[in-house]
Amino acid sequence: MAHPLQLGLQDASSPIMEELLYFHDHALMIVFLISSLVLYTISLMLTTKLMHTSTMNAQMVETMWTILPAVILTSIALPSLRILYMTDEINNPLLTIKAMGHQWYWSYEYTDYTDLNFDSYMTPTLDLKPGELRLLEVDNRTVLPMETPVRMLISSEDVLHSWAVPSLGLKTDAIPGRLNQTTLSATRPGLFYGQCSEICGSNHSFMPIVLELIPLKHFETWSTLTS
Amino acid sequence: MAAVPEPGEPGKGKPFKLLGILDVENIPCARDSILYGSLGSVVAGLGHFLLTSRIRRSCDVGVGGFILVTLGCWFHCRYNYAKQRIQQRIAREGIKNKVLYESTHLDPERKPTNGNHSN
Repeated sequence: MAHPLQLGLQDASSPIMEELLYFHDHALMIVFLISSLVLYTISLMLTTKLMHTSTMNAQMVETMWTILPAVILTSIALPSLRILYMTDEINNPLLTIKAMGHQWYWSYEYTDYTDLNFDSYMTPTLDLKPGELRLLEVDNRTVLPMETPVRMLISSEDVLHSWAVPSLGLKTDAIPGRLNQTTLSATRPGLFYGQCSEICGSNHSFMPIVLELIPLKHFETWSTLTS
Repeated sequence: MAAVPEPGEPGKGKPFKLLGILDVENIPCARDSILYGSLGSVVAGLGHFLLTSRIRRSCDVGVGGFILVTLGCWFHCRYNYAKQRIQQRIAREGIKNKVLYESTHLDPERKPTNGNHSN
């Protein structure tokens, strides 16, 4: 989850999110260098009394400021496209779970091997136990096996929602009448928090998502007990 | 669950960000690239000034040197870092497979045996 006043991305818990973090660092370095160059150019402009009022052409500088941005954009686009295609790789998910958005809660259906479905409402602030996170905890967490590709099918029963878990690099729109698919693969166990990411009414901020990633052996025990 | 520091409690210091955006402490290769870039900038700018005695042009050369050296170090370091990550992943998988499958027929170090087994 994010810590207070956090501006940057959360730590990665999936391979795709790791790649996105590295790409973000790469893009940020390029942005930093461009910003330095622009600041330097502005300081040069402001510290001279010279003025050239009869410029007719400037072939060299026009060539430079056409080619350089093209090179920079290419160096940003290539890693970006690599990650884009990486997210669409086929990885044979072992489990399929449906997440349905409602106003204002999520419901989950585990229908592969059992007939399990439950609703996941936000825990009201007054009912939180000490140490629990305000506006992030839910009554029923979504339990999933770690280090296992899991297919999430996301849709909505009423209005637009969006199922997002930032530390796993996931955000998929929940559109009524449409089934969107995303694949999830966490590298470590733990609790991963997310929030609805598409405005859906008055309680849009109060329908969080909590994934509880546990080893496969424990997941099998859990699904046996809850089915 | 992560322990969140209460307001008022001393937590980890705010990371230092160049121009407010680049976190040189936590981004791999950022610190080295900026430091090498600064060194390259000083060497290029000073060298140009010593050769030509032109101040403004030497400053331009310095800034250009900073950008080029920083970019060059950045790409070189990130390429090596990515190669290292891949090697670490392969090593981790290899160790996991070795631990899981040792003494079974799936042991990655097991040599295939040819010929009939004796009774």
